[in-house]
Amino acid sequence: MSKIRLILFSIISIFIVVACTSESDEDQILIPEFDRSTILTNYAENIIIPRYADFKLSLMNLKSSVDSYVAYPMISTYDKMHNDWLDAYKKWQHIEMFNIGKAEEIMFFNTINTYPVDELRINENIVSQKNDLSNANDYSSQGLSGVDYMIHGIDDTKDKVIQKYTDDPKYGEYLKNLLSIMYTNTNEIVQDWETYKDSFIQSSGNSNSSSLNMITNDFVYYFEKGLRANKIGIPAGVYSGGNTLVSNIEAYYSSMNSFQDVSKDLATEALIASENLFLGKSSTGAVGPSLKTYLDYIYNADVNKENLSPVILSNFQEAKQAVNQLDENFIDQINNNKIKMLNAFDKLQVIVVNMKTNMLSLLSIQVDYIDADGD
Amino acid sequence: MEIITSYLSKKQESTSLAFFRLSFGLLMTFSIIRFWLKGWIKTMYIDPSFHFTFYGFDWVKPLDEYTYLLFFICGLSAFFVAIGYKYYLSIITFFLTFTYIELMDKTTYLNHYYFVSILSFLMIFLPANSSYSVDSYLEKKSYKYSPKWCVDSIKILLFIVYFYSGIAKINYDWLIEAQPLKIWLTTGSYDLPIIGSTLMQQEWFHYFMSWGGMFYDLLIPFILLYSRTRIFGFLLVVFFHVFTVILFPIGMFPYIMIISSLIFFTSQTHQKILDFILNPLTKQIKNIKELKVINIKRKNLALNVVVIFFIIQFLFPFRYTLYPGELFWNEQGYRFSWRVMLMEKRGYTTFKIVDKENKNSFYVMNDSFLTEFQERQMSFQPDFILEYAHFLGDHYKKSGLNEIEVYADSYVALNGRMSKRFVDPNVDLLKEKRGFNNKSWILPLNEKINTF
Repeated sequence: MSKIRLILFSIISIFIVVACTSESDEDQILIPEFDRSTILTNYAENIIIPRYADFKLSLMNLKSSVDSYVAYPMISTYDKMHNDWLDAYKKWQHIEMFNIGKAEEIMFFNTINTYPVDELRINENIVSQKNDLSNANDYSSQGLSGVDYMIHGIDDTKDKVIQKYTDDPKYGEYLKNLLSIMYTNTNEIVQDWETYKDSFIQSSGNSNSSSLNMITNDFVYYFEKGLRANKIGIPAGVYSGGNTLVSNIEAYYSSMNSFQDVSKDLATEALIASENLFLGKSSTGAVGPSLKTYLDYIYNADVNKENLSPVILSNFQEAKQAVNQLDENFIDQINNNKIKMLNAFDKLQVIVVNMKTNMLSLLSIQVDYIDADGD
Repeated sequence: MEIITSYLSKKQESTSLAFFRLSFGLLMTFSIIRFWLKGWIKTMYIDPSFHFTFYGFDWVKPLDEYTYLLFFICGLSAFFVAIGYKYYLSIITFFLTFTYIELMDKTTYLNHYYFVSILSFLMIFLPANSSYSVDSYLEKKSYKYSPKWCVDSIKILLFIVYFYSGIAKINYDWLIEAQPLKIWLTTGSYDLPIIGSTLMQQEWFHYFMSWGGMFYDLLIPFILLYSRTRIFGFLLVVFFHVFTVILFPIGMFPYIMIISSLIFFTSQTHQKILDFILNPLTKQIKNIKELKVINIKRKNLALNVVVIFFIIQFLFPFRYTLYPGELFWNEQGYRFSWRVMLMEKRGYTTFKIVDKENKNSFYVMNDSFLTEFQERQMSFQPDFILEYAHFLGDHYKKSGLNEIEVYADSYVALNGRMSKRFVDPNVDLLKEKRGFNNKSWILPLNEKINTF
């Protein structure tokens, strides 16, 4: 018995000695904790809320220009409406990733930017004067993509489109209804953020339902699907055996009927919005706490050996260059030289890999809200 | 030989087995109810259109709506085990249904599910209903003593679980790099009072917890075994597992281990706990004849099975030595070996389908076939990747493509290392057979983790 006790005693003392030496090896500087709520505050106050306000304002402009166009369908009112549409679409690129809170509840991004649109269904809705588009089957007949069809797609020239609005008031009614739905929904989310903001910032833990985990998941999901796949991969035929699907590009009708080539502008805007979120950069250019700051903290706390944030930032540079080399019109780009599209896709893919493996791993963020036990 | 026969004839109060039976049964009943209430039967077994199976057990599939019935039978049999009603039938039913459930989809594999499976198998051979049971009430007889080896076999199993998970911690990442605890603690919950803002992100604390965790696992069976250190040991068990509950979404595992550890206490302690819980009941029951030692039916068969069972348990975790490459990277022989919380591993894996005739290719959107949970698990585990590749092959062949090849574009990050390409992108996975042969198409990690 005494022998066993001796062994036990010596093992425990080794344990204590090892524990103590590993302590004294280190400099005695205390690493301060990282306050995740600083990221949440910066994201909410300097990015999400102002970007929503911008979008709301741009919708207000579009709404009033649609009203005057429908009242007076002519070239001048049309052109203003088209410009306001493009402006709203660009502003939208900065908020599509925030599928959280009220936006998630009302399926906001589905109602704004589902494409390709369902032409047949839109035309049925116009004829039947359908106002209630809350059914999921109507996601593809509304939103900014729906407006794209309504002002660039119901006929192939500006004059013919204007003529249709002049001849049949139902077009105008439908278009006005689309704006009214978008504006109501946007307004609802903007108002909700006034109260949601506090609980969003306070949820600074690391559970699956904490704000940073949710917003990061939304961001990564958006980047993989909304940006990489929808804007670039799917139209370039990445998922369809090389058969390109040009009608699947974003804002298809504007490019298709040569109103204005906007696909590259929108994709570029989306990529900048993503980079800004990673950097914590607001529309004024001010930079605050972000995923990048958190990764830098992790690296400085000696958790990993190579800092990830510069790697991801240079990935973004390469992706922006690759997108920049594309034609303004993705239909032409895909039809003439698909390889450049695929190259842009690959560059975006690198970011997806780095975010989904390295970033989520280093920040211990589980993919999506999987509710399951571990061991 | 004499030592063995004299050991086998040693006896111990039956209360220990009865106590273990009751607590294990109740815990399992609760686990099944919890699983049901969380809606996981639907999300993990009924909703997915595709299931990852264990090689050789492809025939074990969820039973659509009858899966609920399976869980019901499993939970009910667990409850019958707890109260000791038709014990042998109940424990066999529990073992079979629980194991069937675990084999349906390996996405949900957890070490403690495996522990429950093999523990319930072991319990088939133990006379755990010989006292404090409905069976004993109905037969109007109970046994004061059972063979000592019965209780000891449960202790041996717990010894294996702890000791082997301690051995598994003896590796470069855990001891020298303090990974993955460095990541998990630094990014952990800051809501913890005091230590959340002071200790959790200190490097020395990561090493302290890593080394402490290893010594804890290696020593705790011994500390529990000796009467003088037992209470201290049990307090350690509670402290350690409560700590993991706070930090990680770890489910039932800590509770199972805490309750199971009570088996190391004396029969007198078990007696006291049982009397305390069952006092109102046992007072009513008077006319049970108390006999001395229970005679296990087919004792030799039971003993042989138990001995073979333990030989397998001792050897099985070392099967990884039969494979080349880093265990944590290749995961060949990783499961069923008490390797717990050793890896922060993430993957991103997509698949390219190539038409052999015209060399056209396209990528698969994983969410067309897999749930988020399945996709997450598939992305870094080679056997999942291969099984899924074959599934995709079959799927696209059925849909009209005749001659196809399936390639994986796969990246994995392990324990804080930057992600690396995981699967050889030039290997047509359809040509690789599923099974226990070495998966040479996994690209090497090129770093030594020196797993034990």
